[in-house]
Amino acid sequence: MTALVEVQNLYKRYTPGGAYAVDDVSFEIHAGELFSLLGPNGAGKTTVISTISTLLRPTAGAVRVDGCDVQRDPMAVRRVIGVVPQELALYDDLTAYENLRFWGEMRGLHGAALQHEIAEKLALIELADRAKDRVATFSGGMKRRLNLAVGLLGNPKLLMLDEPTVAIDPQSRRYILDWVKRLREQGVTILYTTHYMEEAQELSDRIGIIDHGKLIALGTLDELIQLVGQHEMLSLRLVQETGGAELATALGSVAGVIGANATNGEVLVNVTSVEATLTAVVAVATGLGLSVRAIEIHEPNLEAVFLHLTGRALRD
Amino acid sequence: MRKLLVLSGKEVLVTFRDVGALLMMLATPLALTLVMMAAFGSGSSTPISDIPVLLLNRDEGAFGQRLADVFFSPSVGNLVTATLVTDETAARARVEADEVAALVVIPADFSAHMFPFGVRAQELTGLDVTALASDTPLTPEQQAGLAQAFLQSRTPANPVVVEIYASPDWRISTLVVKAIVSQGLEQLNVQIAGTMQIISRLMVEMAKAGREPADLAGGLQSGVAAHEAAGLPIKLSITSATGRGFSWLGYYASSMAVLFLMFAVTSGGRTLLAERQRGTLPRLLITPTPPLVVLLGKMGGIVLTGILQMLILWGATALIGAYWGYPVAVLAAIVLLVLCASSVGAFISAWARTPGQAGAIGSAVTLIGGALSGSFFVRWNLPQWVQYLSLITPNAWGIEIFGRLQAGRAPSTILPWLGGMILLTVIYYALALVGFRRQFK
Repeated sequence: MTALVEVQNLYKRYTPGGAYAVDDVSFEIHAGELFSLLGPNGAGKTTVISTISTLLRPTAGAVRVDGCDVQRDPMAVRRVIGVVPQELALYDDLTAYENLRFWGEMRGLHGAALQHEIAEKLALIELADRAKDRVATFSGGMKRRLNLAVGLLGNPKLLMLDEPTVAIDPQSRRYILDWVKRLREQGVTILYTTHYMEEAQELSDRIGIIDHGKLIALGTLDELIQLVGQHEMLSLRLVQETGGAELATALGSVAGVIGANATNGEVLVNVTSVEATLTAVVAVATGLGLSVRAIEIHEPNLEAVFLHLTGRALRD
Repeated sequence: MRKLLVLSGKEVLVTFRDVGALLMMLATPLALTLVMMAAFGSGSSTPISDIPVLLLNRDEGAFGQRLADVFFSPSVGNLVTATLVTDETAARARVEADEVAALVVIPADFSAHMFPFGVRAQELTGLDVTALASDTPLTPEQQAGLAQAFLQSRTPANPVVVEIYASPDWRISTLVVKAIVSQGLEQLNVQIAGTMQIISRLMVEMAKAGREPADLAGGLQSGVAAHEAAGLPIKLSITSATGRGFSWLGYYASSMAVLFLMFAVTSGGRTLLAERQRGTLPRLLITPTPPLVVLLGKMGGIVLTGILQMLILWGATALIGAYWGYPVAVLAAIVLLVLCASSVGAFISAWARTPGQAGAIGSAVTLIGGALSGSFFVRWNLPQWVQYLSLITPNAWGIEIFGRLQAGRAPSTILPWLGGMILLTVIYYALALVGFRRQFK
């Protein structure tokens, strides 16, 4: 397969002598592929996207898009990319139509081609009837959709979406995920960043897991799950509001427990076998004076992978 | 070029859709101009000191000298520094060279117009009637002479003109000189009225004593009343060396426009930081548009907005009577002033870290610059060092240039000022460029 994006040994730090926001990251994205970068907030996902999109200069390493180096030929790179930033980068005082026209002009479109694109994108995001309304009057979900449409103007070869579902309602989130899937089916190459494990699992052809600026795992969903072997995951909900962290620590010494982490009122326990460890896990909780309200058994997933690789939950 | 225009057009559209911005850019300066006009009137007056004035007294009578003496009287104090001159051409040249505020020309027949009876009485009797008291003993010849003088004296049909030939660069001072001349004329008039009352009483006494016909005394009394009713047969005329005097309305129309132009452009500059924070600037920078075009488009929008703002304020204040000067020169001054103001806005945006910081610095710079340069107080009344210091602000250059144009100065006289403003623009934009390079490195 042809690599549309090549990232080689990318380093980025914002201040000389400071910590690396991106630390020796390498990956490729193939044409027509949906590649997700999964990692917690502050992991370096946006920095990677900003470097590929020519907004930031790499401290070291090389990044090529469609064969063009981002440092040597940034304009050529900009011509083939579309970016949907995390922020709603729109002009509230302009209408939806005016926003699309402005951003289309900035991408070099004009005349009939621009008008055609605007009409097409408005229909795509189902905002044709609100085209003449100012963006300031739109709901958060409508703004997100318009934000996506702007990124698609000019039908870029590579579309980069930086956490497009942050802070929106479930209905709009669903809409966006379905929309991304449709784009993928149309053959658009997509780089998608998220800290939601479920989104990465649902959408991606391949996933890169990034933490503290380092790409700690890369592969298809199946390949990543293989990393944790045939392990399973227990999710314990406690009656008590506190004590989760203490339980997670205590479970570390239980035979068959690979890792445990307390987060958001639940304790996630990565185990070799649920059958062999469940009784011991509950006994440790009881021994600490904690009552287990509910237990769920999960198939190995990206959460388990992240826990396995970092010792922390993805949501930490 | 197309992208530059699209970027600038977007900027203007966004600004003119913002009700708050319109209120700040247009409504507030107009309202403040009207308030200033209401407070000071559309004419002018203001306290000042040591105004250099030349006096040319062509009058050979006592009243011309008395009017000239007013400029040296204790009541005027140190308000003016007057010098008597005889060479009119040289005196007018000094005014035109802005060496002095004004030349006051007392015409040759000033006394004859001011007090024709007194002049004739002095000719016939040798008496200075203004020095008479009600109990001054008069000889029968003097009494007869006074009566004859009254019968022979007539107020001239056309009033005589005291001219104040004023320098357009001494706008406020001219008005002070006018006030002093008016005060002097009023003093002379009061003196004449008092003299006429005394003469009238003397005549009545003479009539009672049977020394003069009763109809003469009656005629004298009615003559005194007519003199008081008619007022001064003197006309005061201010002639500017360029044909235009100072006007509060014009001054505040332009100075307020400049002040609020500064508010608008510093606020416009702040939007660059706001766009960065909101994410639209990074999004622009990853479109296939060179960063310089993005920056120029943004600044172009701010400049276009500023020019539109100034044109609207020029038109609106002209409708209420403000004169700004020769239109082509005003237009050129507006364009260069807006460029200069936008350079300060760019400079602040380039070095501030956040939109809030840029807003605070922009407001402080605008208000302090406004105070230093004469947006709140008449510029030419400020100490000289303040006037020099204020030249670091576009406000000062704008007010100077518009002041000159409003005074009727030839457009060519503002060329050095326009040049200075261009230099200031280049300096601020160069400093802004350094800041932007630092920000977007």
